[in-house]
Amino acid sequence: MMVGIKQLVLIVIVSTLLALVVNMASSNRIPLVGNWPSIPGSHTVAVPPSADEGDPTFISLDEAAARFQSSGTLFIDTRDPEDYEFGRIKGSVNIPYDYLEDYLDTLRAIPRDKEIVTYCSGTECELSLFLGRDMQYEGFENIYIFYGGWREWKRAELPTDSGAVK
Amino acid sequence: MTLNNKFLQNDHLGLIVRLAVGIIFIYASIDKIGDPAQFARIVYNYHLLPGELINIFALVLPWVEIVCGVFLIIGVYKEGSSLILNLMVLAFIIAIGINLIRGINLECGCFSVSSKAKESALWLLIRDVGLLILTAYAFLNRSNRFCLGGSKKA
Repeated sequence: MMVGIKQLVLIVIVSTLLALVVNMASSNRIPLVGNWPSIPGSHTVAVPPSADEGDPTFISLDEAAARFQSSGTLFIDTRDPEDYEFGRIKGSVNIPYDYLEDYLDTLRAIPRDKEIVTYCSGTECELSLFLGRDMQYEGFENIYIFYGGWREWKRAELPTDSGAVK
Repeated sequence: MTLNNKFLQNDHLGLIVRLAVGIIFIYASIDKIGDPAQFARIVYNYHLLPGELINIFALVLPWVEIVCGVFLIIGVYKEGSSLILNLMVLAFIIAIGINLIRGINLECGCFSVSSKAKESALWLLIRDVGLLILTAYAFLNRSNRFCLGGSKKA
């Protein structure tokens, strides 16, 4: 067992050195300490790493909840239909970004000045950003991205829905 | 269970398990090494590590996997590398288990960093327990046949 532990320490040291050297040389390098929000609070605005200037506005859970209360806002769930049917923000419409071409009719039926909030699973998913960008490009004027998404919504026990939509 | 158990110390089975485990972990590491930013995001979404440790963990973990995998295959530092892999699989099981209890459907980041690779947490747990059996066997098997390095006899 002692032998095993000595080897373990050696392997970890070698792997760490390899990781650091390769990361330094790589074009995909990442900083050694990342800028991760420690605990996503309901008022912190989560912004994806690939966000650009000119992207639609990102909103916090609190703001998403406030917009949910005002009846004029349309929530768009950009996840796959299975995820949407399994559970979603109450009253949201499904426009899966990965199958966008099949949902163009739904998209075109939305008035351009409608207030829209896009979301997907949470910070592991950027579909809400992609759809938000595309819609803004297509001339939709009031797009907001709730990047905290389904995960934060569910954790806060805000109103949800499930099942197929007729 | 004694370490001199015939099944446990079988030379050929030892070799097969070593090769299998080695290949599994090398395969698992490749995608993560190729896209560390994506893997770091997956690690972050497990919500288990403090923010400062996420990037360094995401960078080092796949290299530990690949080094251990290579060592197991060629039979160098067999004890240490199989010990690490056992601890790692145990940690994976705990991490997935915690998020299963939390009710969070997460990306595994096991073999791929693609967002398309989503599996149920229960299936991931079952798979990891299977993997743990293999890594445990590789650790307990002290056969030195087919090994490049002379790992000390137990």
